[in-house]
Amino acid sequence: MSLAIDRLSQAGRWRRRAVAEKSVLALGLLALSLMLPPWPGAALVLAAAWSLALAFARIPWRDWLGLNAAPLGFVLTGAVTLLVDLGPGGAHLAADGGARALALVLRAAAASSCLLLLAATTPTPDLVQGMRRLGLPAEIAEIMLLTWRFLFLLLEAASAIRHAQEARLGWFGPRRQVRSLGLLIARLLPRAMDSARRLEVGLAARGFDGALPMLSTARPASRRDLALVLGGQTVLAGVSLWLS
Amino acid sequence: MHIMEGFLPAGHALAWTCISAPFVVAGGRSLRRTRAEKPEARLPIAAAAGFTFVLSALKLPSVTGSCSHPTGTGLGAIQFGPGLMAVIGTIVLLFQALLLAHGGLSTMGANVFSMAIAGPWVAYGVWNLARKLGASAAIAVFLAAFLGDLATYCVTSLQLALAFPDAQSGFAGAYAKFAGIFAVTQLPLAAAEGLVTVVVMNALGQLQPRLKGAEA
Repeated sequence: MSLAIDRLSQAGRWRRRAVAEKSVLALGLLALSLMLPPWPGAALVLAAAWSLALAFARIPWRDWLGLNAAPLGFVLTGAVTLLVDLGPGGAHLAADGGARALALVLRAAAASSCLLLLAATTPTPDLVQGMRRLGLPAEIAEIMLLTWRFLFLLLEAASAIRHAQEARLGWFGPRRQVRSLGLLIARLLPRAMDSARRLEVGLAARGFDGALPMLSTARPASRRDLALVLGGQTVLAGVSLWLS
Repeated sequence: MHIMEGFLPAGHALAWTCISAPFVVAGGRSLRRTRAEKPEARLPIAAAAGFTFVLSALKLPSVTGSCSHPTGTGLGAIQFGPGLMAVIGTIVLLFQALLLAHGGLSTMGANVFSMAIAGPWVAYGVWNLARKLGASAAIAVFLAAFLGDLATYCVTSLQLALAFPDAQSGFAGAYAKFAGIFAVTQLPLAAAEGLVTVVVMNALGQLQPRLKGAEA
């Protein structure tokens, strides 16, 4: 079983670009989307992230739309609360006519697309190795890489159990659903622990010392590209401050 | 309940990160100690984190349907203890942001506080209190998971209300709005998770008395 974002990041066009370049680009834009005024700052960031993802990283537009739609559900639900004011006379439409809600949706949409730009172009193990170079303790990085390895195995196991339960009408009706989900989770936890134990034995037999190298084919960051990214971000910030 | 990327203003995002950081650093220290004493503990911890992530990918039966999944907060706190859950929860939240676009990097501090700190500590406290008061294991597990979920939901509503106070009625009005709109999904969800956790603990009790590997 694979996850859409992981698939895109492993097979994408920016797979071999340096992690530093991609992180500076996406996280810089993310910071700009939070700090600049939503109009026109976040709108410019949104446009930049979308055009980078679709035109340069060549993420298929169907996948990109799907990824962006998911966080928007929560954002819209939350923004509804800014549309109404609660006064002594009960709830009524906000005095600002929804300007605050619109600004919030714009900022959250821009920030989410920056996060997705990073996530859909950079595989998670590359990011963990990048954080390791920035001073993340080796123990935590090791746990993170092991977690990453485990979660795909467990997703696979969970979906197999789910199929078996569905084939026996285990998900028919709410009472059965609660019971089936409980049994699924209860089977999954010992299974996770068991595969952890077996992996431990196997690794110990091969002289595991804690180092867990993962294949990473990224090139070193090019100064020219980094300068280009930072320059572009400065221009974007300047333009949005000048326009607002 | 995750707060999405970019939803909180920069100042609030930073403040919640500073509040959560000491808990996560303390958890990281204890993880480091455990690992130095018992190197074989790291794989069960990683398996527990992977397990918690997978829980969030499972759909829970609930009236509102699509967007509900168990948080695993109560189960994790009872099985692994709330201190370790701060680190496991942080890793899981990072992976949820990076692999599922659920939650975010700037809102990570706020999400860690509600889901990896407040929820587990409340669940753990309720579990211990209920056991001391002589409640049966099933009731104690249900209350721990149910109230742990509710604590997460109340803290998230609080975080949102602090960030977006109502124009007229201020913080209290905003809290009522956020708590009201999320109650529709979160109350049935918390009850469902409580029931599911009871089934899980019962089944685990039949499978093996206690998961020794998990006591890292």
